[in-house]
Amino acid sequence: MAIYGDEALVAMTPELEAHLVERFALDKPLWQQFGTYFLTLFQGELGYSYYYNATVLSVILGRLPWTLLLVGTSLLLSTILGIVLGIESGWRRGSRTDRAMLAGLMSLNGFPDFFLGMLLLITFSVTWGIFPLAGALTPYSGLSGLGLLLDVLKHLFLPVAALTLAHLASGYLLTRNTMITVLKEPYMLTAKAKGLSQRVLKYRHAGRNSMLPVVTQAGIWMGRVVTGALFVEMVFAYPGVGYLTYEALLARDYPVIQGVFLIVAVSVLVINFLIDLSYPKLDPRVSHAH
Amino acid sequence: MHISLKREIKESGPGKTGLIILLLMVGVAVLAPVIAPYDPYQQSTASLLPPSWHHWLGTNQVGQDIWSRLVYGARTSLLVGFGVGILSTLLGTVFGVSAALVGGLYEKVVMRIVDAFIVIPMIIIVILISAYISPGIATLILLLSLLGWQGGARVIRAQALSLKERGHVTAAKSFGANQFYIAWRHIVPDLGPILLVDFIYGVRRAVFMEAGLAFLGISDPTVVSWGMMMRDALSFSYLNVWQWWLVPTGVALSLTIIGLTFVGHAAEPVLEPRLRGVEIA
Repeated sequence: MAIYGDEALVAMTPELEAHLVERFALDKPLWQQFGTYFLTLFQGELGYSYYYNATVLSVILGRLPWTLLLVGTSLLLSTILGIVLGIESGWRRGSRTDRAMLAGLMSLNGFPDFFLGMLLLITFSVTWGIFPLAGALTPYSGLSGLGLLLDVLKHLFLPVAALTLAHLASGYLLTRNTMITVLKEPYMLTAKAKGLSQRVLKYRHAGRNSMLPVVTQAGIWMGRVVTGALFVEMVFAYPGVGYLTYEALLARDYPVIQGVFLIVAVSVLVINFLIDLSYPKLDPRVSHAH
Repeated sequence: MHISLKREIKESGPGKTGLIILLLMVGVAVLAPVIAPYDPYQQSTASLLPPSWHHWLGTNQVGQDIWSRLVYGARTSLLVGFGVGILSTLLGTVFGVSAALVGGLYEKVVMRIVDAFIVIPMIIIVILISAYISPGIATLILLLSLLGWQGGARVIRAQALSLKERGHVTAAKSFGANQFYIAWRHIVPDLGPILLVDFIYGVRRAVFMEAGLAFLGISDPTVVSWGMMMRDALSFSYLNVWQWWLVPTGVALSLTIIGLTFVGHAAEPVLEPRLRGVEIA
């Protein structure tokens, strides 16, 4: 009965208990419960949410687009920015610009995303009122077309900014580290001796080779789409899967939590596989290995 | 391993800054009863007061002194951080070194377990378990360590694999040294700097996680925690209390993590010697 929390025991009557036992099939042996779970899983059945009163799959699918939009945008921005900053910084290593960028971005790295989110929320929404306080859409606004798009973007801006800032540093540090080791490679000397322009040296020869670890990392991050935005979604009450997880935790809606967990695990595996497939494109040496 | 960790940190500007920040935080945590003017749990009717001489950072919604809670919060944060750092590095060393030395099926099993844990986002497992048990400090340390040693074990195993081929290990073996003796006397001492880096990142992860769980409201509500303070402050964001409630707490948490990041970064050449001599001004 722990499934509803101790509070449920107060309201427990024998009839209710019998009803619950039957509803959750608690009188069946464990292996049979698991077997049924597993079989229905293959039919795309993730269970039924007793808090939202809908199937878990539909609850999660309803939230997924918002998370994908939020995390996708910020991941793209932080990866591209991180790579560019990392290349520039690594190229000028030891210089004043490099040291300032390094110290600045590492400090930024120390700010937890929910604290960044709260600061942005209080500054831009509470104090200045430029951006909306919460949610992903203005409720009952009846907007459509361009108005709707602007409304979505307005709600998206602060959460994306918080996530991008919080994750900028890891891509930057990785690129910069690889950049430094790549710049010491003999082929860089050859390229320089050929008289290639600085831009080609920096981006095509050194930069491209410094991207590999960042792509891996972005991929790992992509696998954490669902959980990565959890804190930020909570601060902005953004209706994504992270916020759903939080709501489900508060409501003890275990089927939903289980469903989220399963989807996270599967998406992580799929994305890891996709990253492995993309390696040879970035680094042809990989396909010659073995 | 002829790179001195002490020198790496001392010679790097951010490394020194980080070390100073950390020492400051440890000082605050240790001296908490001296620094804090009030009992952090003492409630009073004077709730949501603005800062004054009596309450430097005002009081919260149940009249507790925010400054005192901030000071005691450092204890929770660092206790969990260092606890997890030590325990997860220990686990990583035991499994990493034993996998390298024993080899065979044991190594395969250990490393596949490591792979599985690395792939699945730790935070969702931690959240799931915390939601059931609302962990106190000791449980939280145990939980975060059990879920956090795998990354270190992978690096440690790789290093131990190369260390065990060194001459002095072969020499020790020829004198009849057993595996435990070799691990303890020859492998572990040479792993020193790597273990320190692993430790620092373990601490950082744990400080972040502890705050995050408390922020979500799923850790033990009776423990003073920066994350919980920020959670409370956020629910009063329509008042101006965030200026002395949310911001100092968030800054304290961020400073701790920044200190750890700086020290960790300065120590990183231990893992990748080619990065050396970059920050030296």
